Amino acid sequence: MIRYQGGSLEAFQEIYAQLAPGVRRYLSHLALGSEIADDLLQETFLQMHRSRAAYNPAYAVRAWAFGLARNVFLMNRRAARRWAAVHESREYLPEFPVLPEADRLGSQDEIRRCMADLSPDQVEALLLHHEWGFSFEEIAGMLGMSAAAARARASRGMADLRVALNSLQRARA
Amino acid sequence: MIDRSPKPPEALMRAIAQDLRPVRPSPRPLYLALQMVPLALLVSSLILLAIGPRHDSGILGPLLTWGASAAQFLVAIVLIWIAAHESTPAGRLPRQAVYSAAFLASLIVVFVTLLTFSISPANEAVRLSPLHLVESHFSSRISPWIMGFACGIGSTLAGGILVLFFSWVFRNSLATRPTVAGALYGAGAGLAINAGWRIACPISTLWHSLGAHGAAIIATVILGALIGRSLGNRRLHVGARRS
Repeated sequence: MIRYQGGSLEAFQEIYAQLAPGVRRYLSHLALGSEIADDLLQETFLQMHRSRAAYNPAYAVRAWAFGLARNVFLMNRRAARRWAAVHESREYLPEFPVLPEADRLGSQDEIRRCMADLSPDQVEALLLHHEWGFSFEEIAGMLGMSAAAARARASRGMADLRVALNSLQRARA
Repeated sequence: MIDRSPKPPEALMRAIAQDLRPVRPSPRPLYLALQMVPLALLVSSLILLAIGPRHDSGILGPLLTWGASAAQFLVAIVLIWIAAHESTPAGRLPRQAVYSAAFLASLIVVFVTLLTFSISPANEAVRLSPLHLVESHFSSRISPWIMGFACGIGSTLAGGILVLFFSWVFRNSLATRPTVAGALYGAGAGLAINAGWRIACPISTLWHSLGAHGAAIIATVILGALIGRSLGNRRLHVGARRS
């Protein structure tokens, strides 16, 4: 990032190569699988470029980029009211990644179905920690909450997911 | 559709390549806030340099005259530090902490105002001293309304200068809630100015302190919020035009 701030195009390409797949998945999750995730990804990197001077090396680039992606998503949701359009048009289950911790608790379809019933805040905390490997301190900085609250949100999400999976399996049995 | 491979799309690369001038990394939020201290100190003490300390500073004592202002100035810097955190995507503070700090800051202003009013001889005859003869003469002969407007408009203008400076520093802000970030540095500017003006202002009555000085702080908060919102919208529109 420091080389990129110094004006290196190659450094930007390296950052993009490392971060774009994860950021896109995160945006896709936020946008509930909508195709605007691609636009938002491009927008995120444009904003990153415009505000590259605002980056401080004390922060992890990855957490900064994910936080920026979240900002871009929220700004676009506010401005274009796409959020409502996304929700109205959705009749399919979102493409949640299957958490490694939940993998043994049920089939991928069951896990996705149960995650869709969790609150969006819980799912976001769960995915940021379990899927993308952010620490609770990093998640706290991205979401504007304390690390303890981020931990509690993810833990409650995982507990609710377990309960939902158990209920689903009992109902099927 | 965009190419989903890790290589950046051509359009994005063209936009990036158009402007690759080197930039200096932003300092940490604390250093960013501390960088604002000299100018904030200068603007807030201009009134003090112009008309000197209040005539009742001897009665109030150094702690309530200078100490309370120093505390307000410190709170102002804390609010700017919080605004700097709010403007960093990976460094946001808990929402409760942000709102609690803003609430505490307003409590401190009200508390200092009430304490000053309770000790100052606001409703007694002004104790004249040779050094403050001119100031007392003016404060006793000029209508309280005019004094109120002078303090309110004067400190709003001084606070406005600081808000504009802070907005320039935060122009690349990546705040999720730009209005909140703007309101925070607006509050910081208002408190910093009030810290200087309250040492110089000869009137301690509640209606003047809260009505004129308090209104000036609220005005800078609103100004900061509007500028923050405008900067946030501009960032969004620039991005939308490019994408």
